[in-house]
Amino acid sequence: MSLENLDRVLMQVSKPVRYAGGEYGAVMKDPDKVAVRYAFLFPDVYEVGMSHLGMKILYHAINSREDAWCERVFSPWVDMEDLMRREGIPLFSLESRTPVKQFDLLGITLQYEMSYTNILSALDLAGLPLRQDQRKEGPFVICGGPCAFNPEPLAPFVDFFVLGDGEESTHQTIDAYKRWKAQGLPREEYLRMAAAIPGVYVPSLHQVQYHAAGTVAAIQPKAGSPAPQVVRKALVNDLDGAFYPEKLIVPYGDVVHNRIMLEIFRGCTRGCRFCQAGMIYRPVRERSMDRLMALAQNLVDSTGYDEISLMSLSSGDYSQLPQLAHRMIENFAPKRVKISLPSMRIDSLIKDTLKETQKVRKTALTLAPEAGTQRLRDVINKGVTEADLIRSVTDAFEEGWSAVKLYFMLGLPTETDQDVDGIADLARKVQQCYFSLPKERRAPGLRITVSASVFVPKPFTPFQWAGQLDQAQVIRRQQRLKEQLSRIKGVDFKYHAPDLSFIEAVFARGDRRVGEALERAWRLGCRFDGWSDHFRYDLWLRAFEETGVDPAFYASRPRARDEVFPWEHLDAGVTRAFLLREWDKALAGQTTQDCRKGCVGCGMNRYEGACT
Amino acid sequence: MRAIYQFGKTRRLMCVSHLDLQRFMQMALRRSALPVAYSQGFNPHPLLSFASALAMGWTSEAELMDIKLAAPLGKAAALEQMRRALPPDLPLRGVRLVEDRFPALMARLYWADYAITLPGPAWDKVAEAVPGFLAEKEVVALRKTKSGEKPADIRPMALSLEVTPQGGGYLMRARLQLTERATLKPDLLLSVLAQRAGAELPQDAQVHRTALLAQDDSGAPVDLFTLKA
Repeated sequence: MSLENLDRVLMQVSKPVRYAGGEYGAVMKDPDKVAVRYAFLFPDVYEVGMSHLGMKILYHAINSREDAWCERVFSPWVDMEDLMRREGIPLFSLESRTPVKQFDLLGITLQYEMSYTNILSALDLAGLPLRQDQRKEGPFVICGGPCAFNPEPLAPFVDFFVLGDGEESTHQTIDAYKRWKAQGLPREEYLRMAAAIPGVYVPSLHQVQYHAAGTVAAIQPKAGSPAPQVVRKALVNDLDGAFYPEKLIVPYGDVVHNRIMLEIFRGCTRGCRFCQAGMIYRPVRERSMDRLMALAQNLVDSTGYDEISLMSLSSGDYSQLPQLAHRMIENFAPKRVKISLPSMRIDSLIKDTLKETQKVRKTALTLAPEAGTQRLRDVINKGVTEADLIRSVTDAFEEGWSAVKLYFMLGLPTETDQDVDGIADLARKVQQCYFSLPKERRAPGLRITVSASVFVPKPFTPFQWAGQLDQAQVIRRQQRLKEQLSRIKGVDFKYHAPDLSFIEAVFARGDRRVGEALERAWRLGCRFDGWSDHFRYDLWLRAFEETGVDPAFYASRPRARDEVFPWEHLDAGVTRAFLLREWDKALAGQTTQDCRKGCVGCGMNRYEGACT
Repeated sequence: MRAIYQFGKTRRLMCVSHLDLQRFMQMALRRSALPVAYSQGFNPHPLLSFASALAMGWTSEAELMDIKLAAPLGKAAALEQMRRALPPDLPLRGVRLVEDRFPALMARLYWADYAITLPGPAWDKVAEAVPGFLAEKEVVALRKTKSGEKPADIRPMALSLEVTPQGGGYLMRARLQLTERATLKPDLLLSVLAQRAGAELPQDAQVHRTALLAQDDSGAPVDLFTLKA
């Protein structure tokens, strides 16, 4: 590839710094001195990908080995893609500007179904055939991340998937690659070797049978395949002992999260029934306070960042949060380093933590009641009450906050108009909380933002049996809510057209056959579907029609209790029996306790060393 | 005490804007652990300034960054700590420690030296127009200023200008005025030369800054980095 060419192209595209590389902390190695070259693709633009914690962990984990060099690849924005095609520039890595085709392994993280077309763009721009069975050379394509728990829509394009925690399995895939290369074996032998690694699923070693009605009859290893009957996710039990980067790449321009992200624990015990992350990342594993303090110190020293975000699925649930927040602030506030806590739950004891964190930073308080009535919150097992919400916002207003964001979902199973109206009621009560405080005790300028997303049922959740609410109903409920919220002063309502969530629902629970529609949609021009100005619903519908795929069959259809799912051969830790029990309890409006208060029998304890 | 750092910016980083570079340097100062003085106020930031902004697309080997220190520091430590905080594509070339009363770099900046690569024969006519330009007493061109485009005589703003063949194209070396009141940018110079030659302006010139200069008492150009107090 001509670098001269690339420089000229960069002067013509928007935000060229996306493609520059050369950041502080980017790892450079001598290509002649490494055995394995690993390209890590985040299938979205640089600013999004550079904000992703998982990529940071695996990038530095791979680069901690002397025998491998991991480099970053991001999706070129549409203007860059056009110019790359016109100028014959193949997809390249940021560090060494090496064409992706020359790498040994291409790891791709699956964070969101609507990034799938970008994966096809990337393979094509790299000069690789899209289909796994047509690739005779070039890197093996490996996918991980939450969406790997329903890998089937991508099965035609991917060599293998890695389920679960990547800290150890990534090294194992590299080790296996070295053994394969040293022995000079045929290409498919690497896949057979990989199939023995915990967490690895090789779709070409499994076959699917379908019922006449279109549902899956069985997914099994092919005859003579070394693949296990059921693929268990990879699990790292000891987070303190697990690799965590102590250096980071510091970007030049703005990225979405431009700060130190410190993962304080993994997993969540709450058991919200809509939440895939809360199911697939079980069990809860905390990092110790001492380890976190040491990591924070090293990261501040090595990067110069002035903010540390304490990350997890539910940071308020860290067992010693007040102490941790206190130690962090005591240590870092004199150095002008701010501490922030995303993902707080309403029912956590947040008042003290609020007090601590606001000493250095005050942003909008974000709370997620998810549903408007207690009945529906019980159905989804959200486990928070209106009293929790009122107490939290009262505390926040008293501590000087005046901006509150409230997140809800529309179209949850069993939702009625009453539940929709309940969202407006809650917003009104939050407003009243603010005005009930004397003027001198509250910060001026109340802003309440109500965001309502459209519910998408996800695999490995109790709601995997539910149909997605049809779009006409979603629109009606959105309008109903909009009309009611417009009468409350200081409230801003945010919502989106349901067509994007409909496509997301197809791929969330799709089988291998929807891969055909994916490829067709990409050929028709779909990409960056998660960006609303690029999402082309018309092209998606055409793609489904031309490939004979009925999207409603996947998105809207309620599943029978005994239906075989396209992910039935995968084990995410929670058992099908547990999920079905939770589904039944949801429909009966019964809640399930936080498993920190006592085991709820999710099945995770079948894994060695888990839940001890 | 102030530390004046001279650093380069390579081709890889040519599309990093000045604003991004400023923010990047603020973070670099934090990780350098240098005793940097901070501004007062609600959002304190390190006291740092640049002699001049480098335009998008340009490279340099002579940018100057001026940092106010909160405590005195040795030269070796000032150099080593900053070197560790910068990536290879922002190579550190040197440091100079000066007293607080040393003049502000921006106020003393007068000229900049450029090495401009003009690749290929498309630049023939522009190169041929150089002697004619140098022979003029006055060359009026529309210069972009904060208040819009204004006609100005740019001839005295080019102190020296020479062009030599290089690899099928040319290398142009120019010393151009760079002050707050009057600046001649290489792009304007090239477009004026093209205009005088009646030629279309190729878009592939590569501008590389090689020095920032002041004027001494006699009006002679002197390197800003080694300027006497």
